[in-house]
Amino acid sequence: MKRIIDIGLKNRLLILAAGLLVIAAGYYSYRQLPIDAFPDVSPSLVQVFTVTKGLAPEEVEKYVTYPVEVAMNGIPHLKNIRSISNFGLSVINVYFDDGTDIYFARQLVSERLQEAREQIPEGFGDPQMGPISTGMGLVLFYYLEDESGQYSLEEMRTIQDWLVKFQLQTVPGVTEVLGIGGWEKQYHVIVDPNSLLRYEVTIKEIIDKIHANNLNVGAQFIEKNAEEFVVRSAGLASGIEDLESIVIKAIDGTPVYLRQLADVRIGGAIRRGVQTRNGIEEVVSGMVVKLFGANASTVIGAVEAKMAEINAILPAGVRIVPYYEQKTLVEACVRTVSDALYLGILLVVLVLFVFMGSIRPSLVVAVSIPFSILFAVIGMRYLGISANLMSFGGLAIAIGMMVDGTIVMVENIDRLLRQAPEGESRTTVIARACREVLRPVLFAITIIIVVFLPLFTLQGVEGKTFSPLAAAVALAMFGSLLFALALAPVLADLLMRRPAASSRARPAETHMMLRFLIRLYRPAVTFVVKRRGFAVALAALLVVIGLLLFPRLGSEFTPTLQEGTIVLRLTMAPSISLTESTRITQIVERRLMKIPEIEGVVTRIGRGEVGAHTDPINSAEMYILLKPKEHWRVAGGQQALTRRIRAGVGEIPGVLANFTQPIQMTVDELLEGVRAELAVKLFGDDLEVLKDKADGIAALLKDLPGAADVQVDQVSGTPQLFIRIDRQAIARYGINVADVQQTLSAAVGGETAGQIFEGIRRFDILVRFSEGARSSKTAIENLLIPGPDGIHLPLAQLAAVEELVGPRQITRERNQRFITVQCNVSGRDIGSFVEAGQQAIAAGVELPPGYLVTWGGQFRLQQEANQRLAVVIPLTLLLIFLLLFSSFNSLKNTLLILLNIPLALVGGVAALWLTGQNLSVPASVGFIALFGIALENGMVLVTHLNQLVREGRSLDAASIEGALLRLRPVLMTALTTALGLIPLLLSNGTGSEVQQPLATVVVGGLLTSTVLTLLVIPAIYKWFAE
Amino acid sequence: MMKMFKNTKKLIATLLAAMLCLPFSCAEHQPQGHDHENESHSEAEHRELVQLPDSVLAEFGIAVDTAGPGIVRQHRDLTGEIVIDPDRLAHIIPRFPGIVKSVRKKIGDRVRAGETLAVIESNESLSPYEVTSLIDGTVIEMHLTKGEAVNDNSHDIMVADLSYVWADLSVYQKDLEHLAVGQKATLSIGGNIPDFTGRIAYISPTLSEVKRTATARVIVANPQGHWRPGLFINAEVITAAAEVPLAIPKTALESFENQTVVFVKTGDGFTPQSVKIGRENHTTVEILAGLEKGERYVSKGGFTLKAELEKSAFGDGHSH
Repeated sequence: MKRIIDIGLKNRLLILAAGLLVIAAGYYSYRQLPIDAFPDVSPSLVQVFTVTKGLAPEEVEKYVTYPVEVAMNGIPHLKNIRSISNFGLSVINVYFDDGTDIYFARQLVSERLQEAREQIPEGFGDPQMGPISTGMGLVLFYYLEDESGQYSLEEMRTIQDWLVKFQLQTVPGVTEVLGIGGWEKQYHVIVDPNSLLRYEVTIKEIIDKIHANNLNVGAQFIEKNAEEFVVRSAGLASGIEDLESIVIKAIDGTPVYLRQLADVRIGGAIRRGVQTRNGIEEVVSGMVVKLFGANASTVIGAVEAKMAEINAILPAGVRIVPYYEQKTLVEACVRTVSDALYLGILLVVLVLFVFMGSIRPSLVVAVSIPFSILFAVIGMRYLGISANLMSFGGLAIAIGMMVDGTIVMVENIDRLLRQAPEGESRTTVIARACREVLRPVLFAITIIIVVFLPLFTLQGVEGKTFSPLAAAVALAMFGSLLFALALAPVLADLLMRRPAASSRARPAETHMMLRFLIRLYRPAVTFVVKRRGFAVALAALLVVIGLLLFPRLGSEFTPTLQEGTIVLRLTMAPSISLTESTRITQIVERRLMKIPEIEGVVTRIGRGEVGAHTDPINSAEMYILLKPKEHWRVAGGQQALTRRIRAGVGEIPGVLANFTQPIQMTVDELLEGVRAELAVKLFGDDLEVLKDKADGIAALLKDLPGAADVQVDQVSGTPQLFIRIDRQAIARYGINVADVQQTLSAAVGGETAGQIFEGIRRFDILVRFSEGARSSKTAIENLLIPGPDGIHLPLAQLAAVEELVGPRQITRERNQRFITVQCNVSGRDIGSFVEAGQQAIAAGVELPPGYLVTWGGQFRLQQEANQRLAVVIPLTLLLIFLLLFSSFNSLKNTLLILLNIPLALVGGVAALWLTGQNLSVPASVGFIALFGIALENGMVLVTHLNQLVREGRSLDAASIEGALLRLRPVLMTALTTALGLIPLLLSNGTGSEVQQPLATVVVGGLLTSTVLTLLVIPAIYKWFAE
Repeated sequence: MMKMFKNTKKLIATLLAAMLCLPFSCAEHQPQGHDHENESHSEAEHRELVQLPDSVLAEFGIAVDTAGPGIVRQHRDLTGEIVIDPDRLAHIIPRFPGIVKSVRKKIGDRVRAGETLAVIESNESLSPYEVTSLIDGTVIEMHLTKGEAVNDNSHDIMVADLSYVWADLSVYQKDLEHLAVGQKATLSIGGNIPDFTGRIAYISPTLSEVKRTATARVIVANPQGHWRPGLFINAEVITAAAEVPLAIPKTALESFENQTVVFVKTGDGFTPQSVKIGRENHTTVEILAGLEKGERYVSKGGFTLKAELEKSAFGDGHSH
């Protein structure tokens, strides 16, 4: 083991070269590293979307969702399948085990989709996979501004779909550009039903005739002399006039043209989404979706450059206006952590210089920072961790710790160089010095890495959030270990000089600052060593204070990352029409515009092109564009402003309004499962029974003590006009069901009869009845259904037309319909609540055969995490214990060092309490880091005390002597760590809200732990010495 | 997702506590269903009462009206065609076979009764005789050409009096019971030609076996000749027009908790009141019960009020 040092010192050049190589590779990796704002917490998921033409949820489920789901069964690494069948849209989320390669997963899904497609009836939609992206993939939203005011919404949408989108999709790293808003241009053939009657034509004939009069063909070639002539025939309709001139039939040689039967004009496709702006206008907009794994900042940069190009070729007066860019967030996050990094490095170097009193040793230590960071970056690139708030935050946290090993080394070298006898060569002294502290350094750093291990076992969102941090810390610490062991001795040998003979004295006495500290410390440590009871009492007092404070801490989730963009999400009544939801949204937009801080509002209602959002039309997301901070009336951050805006918006009748943020919102949507603690899922077939029984379960749960926020999924609420065909009636007239349904679907919903090509742009031809003849219940009842022999019959004579309330969406999981009853539990242990609930349901709700109740929710995840951590944390502690024990070979010493932990925790708790922060996950991570640092400090001190004892000093003398000698390294490691964190602590940049609690805990804990290490350990060392 | 953080936090907290080897309770749990903050989730004391200030009513376009009497007109939309009144049609057939000497009138000419239409030289007497119109009217068919031999009944002349024509409306089975002789019908052919309003004069006692429709007839005065036989027409027949004590616009009706309701203004807000509906048409509906004359009710924009009442239920309305 100790030979490492000697080998290193013998092969200085090799080691230096290797070091340089690591730095170069690290820099290269850094350039390649994808930069994101946050770690991506999206699950491994492939979404399958199927747009179905006007089908109700029941039909979507039956014809589309079910076959796709069935096809997906049995895929390897499959975790779960959930589906939502909505009006006109089927969404199937295929969840894979975390860590499954996304391309592999897509490959599997794609293979199975082939099977599924065969099962879906013709014309009911074609299932497609969602974009190759994640919840963080929506990197840029823009809208098209028309300053000239001369373009219709159809024209604007055409510009978006055929010009802007086309160009943007060519940008590397962009996987999809999805349009929304305005109207997709179509050629509308608006048929007058009375003229059908007059000319005895059916709508089906019209559709067929349009198809038959709109195509180009190729007829191979002819040979003419020695040449080949390609034969082609152009018969594509090129516009309204061509369509109007199509002959539908001839009566006695007189042609009946389409124009006699229908009005042909440009119109907008049926839409399920609208984009509005500032409460005054509708706009056309687009979303740029980033490819999975692409570098967000690079992609956004390239998209912006492309936009500038596109702006130049857009018609005069039209331009692209981005209204949400993830870049700002990425930049802000990177700025926050890199500021912290640079400042941290600066402060650490300053501390080194002050304590070492010389530039050379400081230099050796300082080099360990870039080395460790770059080493970590290599590892991150290898492990596929992006540069983000958490991973770089981890590096920022580790700055102070990554110098520790080298500090101990260099401090010892410095000390020994001053003490060494004249004859001994410098290299030998350095080797000796390094060997002395090799073990504690090795073990201390290993322990720090080990304490971060439990973080890797976190699952789900918090796992994905904090494992980059843990990985970055562990990697950086490993890098610092390599540096301390291999490079530090070599660099020390190259850089550090023996002090001149005149100043050869005890290092502590050479330095003003240190002299001063020692003057303070010596009486203190002598005092506590003499009066051990006092030290014990002091420690006990602090622990008691900690214990008193701990319950006073509030509990909190992870402080929400402030993305810097405020989104107001409106949820309206499920039965609302798009027209009404647009109207309401614009009212709210106008209210927002009255708030002085707000520059503009851009709202998306419902969904546009499928791929990113599947929102129904009763949901609106309002992106609030803020004026620069100078114009705000409120000081403080986003949260204060959100409160202000909430007050400004006020109560909106009939609308639920939540404030959220873009990424948070998207990720929430992709996550599996329910947000409540407890989710009782009832699986079964009949929607009515499900609803009924779920209501029963909810009623029972509500009566249980401790139940809160009991809520049943709202599954119904969409009004339907249900046409029940009377089979006897149609039999009387010799009409088929299909005749009725074809007419119905073409007349009311419209039927596509081919496309009109304008160059490569293609627009559907939609045949539909005129509005008056299809837009009311009476009109639909009067629809004339053509029968045999030219007979026409009104629909009401063939079918019953009923108004009823149907399901708004059908959710399925694991191939079965289900309904969820959500519930939180307060003032009671969840386990007993679940038990009581299960008994109550068994007794009180009678379930038909085939119905199944499962209990899930966050409590299930928590239980799983509990079980995992119940193994992992004791294991970690055991590992630490073994490491300490193997380092000291003494149970007593090990215990003495472990005693540091509670003393460190006290400081952390007190710091949280003093700053008014809550106990949150980052704070807990801070505590974990604190363990490691406290242990390290203890080790450094105890090792030295042991050494002094071995050298033959009395226990008391050794305690005092050792403590004085170790004052410098202990203070230095503690101070570097603390100062390294100060920038994070004081920062109020984007993302700092997550790092602050962590820094607070570590800094606070270090204060108490250092003081106590320096006072209590020497005092009680006697009892723990071997 | 924040929920999970919290749970983990509790775990870590618990473990920290365990490590301190001292028992103390961990931080009190606060139940929280959503991580979003609900902006407006205050449940009204009366579940079915909505209170909104007037400014908000105006902002959301919610109109309030006073309940009162009205007329509910019901109608049926029919299609049909203009035909010639057979009583005003004359089929004039040359009596004796012969050769057409001259044709005096052509299609479209107006003729009077007794006016000569054509002159034919009889084969038997070899003397010409005049074919005269039987009625005042317009020549609509003329199958005679100069020099032609007339030897059977195919060479006829039709004169129709178009001052009155018939509008034969096709009536489907489902509408039959609502129609009666004497009902008012408004006929239209589109374009700039003014509508004609008349009454149903006749309803056929049988249905056509081919078309499965009955015929309802309106006699149309046609002084200008706009209503040309053969024209395809639309007709709106008023099948009922009732003056009712309480009629409200259909926009006032909302369906709420499987009932049809009207939002009625009470002292401090609006309450959904279940109503019983009588006769109705496209726009207006008769209220039989549930609303009193003189009560103030929401005539437009009730949807917003309904949504406000249902708000708590659609909290988790989003698909995930």
